[in-house]
Amino acid sequence: MRKKLLLLLALGFWPSYSYSDSIAPFYGYTGNAITDQSLKWAMGNVLPDGTPGLDIQNVIYSYRIQKETGEWVTVYVQNEYAEGAGEGYIFRERDDWKPGSIAGTEIQKAVPVGNLPRALWGDGSIEVVGNGSVSDASVVYTYKVTPCFDPQFDPNCPGYKTPVPEIYEVDLGDVYDAVAAGDSDQDTWDPNEDENIDDEELSEEEIAEKEAEEDKDREDRQEAALFEAGRAELFAQALSAAQLTDATQINIRNYTEKTIPGGAYNDTKVLVDNDLPDAPSGLRNGLAQQLLHQQMVAMQYNLTKKN
Amino acid sequence: MLNKNITTYGVAAVLMLSAQSGIAQANETPINGTVQSRCIIQTDTAGTFGNPNAYTLTTSSSDGGEQSVIRIDVTLANSYYAEITAPNEFSSAPTLPDQVTWTGDTEVKTVSDATTMGSYESGKVELGMMDRYDLTATGSTWFKTSSVATMGGNKAFPGGNYTALVQADCIAK
Repeated sequence: MRKKLLLLLALGFWPSYSYSDSIAPFYGYTGNAITDQSLKWAMGNVLPDGTPGLDIQNVIYSYRIQKETGEWVTVYVQNEYAEGAGEGYIFRERDDWKPGSIAGTEIQKAVPVGNLPRALWGDGSIEVVGNGSVSDASVVYTYKVTPCFDPQFDPNCPGYKTPVPEIYEVDLGDVYDAVAAGDSDQDTWDPNEDENIDDEELSEEEIAEKEAEEDKDREDRQEAALFEAGRAELFAQALSAAQLTDATQINIRNYTEKTIPGGAYNDTKVLVDNDLPDAPSGLRNGLAQQLLHQQMVAMQYNLTKKN
Repeated sequence: MLNKNITTYGVAAVLMLSAQSGIAQANETPINGTVQSRCIIQTDTAGTFGNPNAYTLTTSSSDGGEQSVIRIDVTLANSYYAEITAPNEFSSAPTLPDQVTWTGDTEVKTVSDATTMGSYESGKVELGMMDRYDLTATGSTWFKTSSVATMGGNKAFPGGNYTALVQADCIAK
């Protein structure tokens, strides 16, 4: 039991750093720093400065020596210190091409430099000392970026502290000093000249009268406050009554609602025939009407005859 | 009777044990070990034959070929020779109509340190198709080998695939 307890304690205090992908260091390499025949390059064009946690780890270079076999040529591949970071060279690799070495021989070299912060690296160059030259030169830097170089980069970084907003303290003494020194348009406050301060001595009657006025004012304020409170209470009662009415009101509709879609409504039945004949069945009725009409007309003549 | 028999067997057993303890014992225990070579040979670039005319195969880049490159890494200075032999026969080829004449050469292409390896090329010993280099420094050296095969009688190489091998050896001093 005691051993189990000790084991739990040991596991509890075991240091663990579980880096997420966003804070894990990552590695990379630059392109060829040499872009022209000058054999010089500005580091700002190769690896931008200003990235915290950016360290250069290796310098990998290659070139082809051009010289007479009997010549001794020394080649330096180098970087100066950045301005203000130091004097001389932060990196300088020397190749001695002694007599006997053949022109056209290439060199490929990877030089570890540890983890030197990018900010220390100044401009680079290839310097040839002696009767010779180099061709097909290439200089590449490998680097490492540590995001947690600044622990505040990510909450998962070791040493991260929850930021506390800064509260600026305003020193009002400076303002008073400025006013006192005449730097402000405002006049200096003098308690003796303040009209709001009444320090004249009052008689007992005047004091009693003043207290009575103050009592009256106090009563008026209380009365006004009570009136406002009562009005608020009435308003609340009316509001609750209205809510109750709204809640109990039943929405009765006598007719169902139909929605008629808009647009033009054309005739649905069209008579195609141009000539519409009388119905034969109505002919008999029509003739009967006509006969009856004639008889009625003839009757007047019959009456005339009688007369 | 029973007691006698037991006594007899007991004596016999004691005698047998005594006889066995008198035999000489022998044992052989191996000692194993692995030696990592301090000279490592790798193919950096496989060469290619160009065919500028019917009767020539060459690794010359101007004729469409490519030289083979061999890389030798040495981690123990002044302990090895590198012997690199340009090919003098095809390892695989169609049936050839005539003899093939071979020429070839090996040169230092690249070194990892100029100061100590810069004179490898000028200090090499040439023995026919084989070039011997004295690997006096630790580091990497790339050797390039050229090869030209010419068919006898200016006869044409038959169509097919041709392979020739460059031999590279690390010889301990």
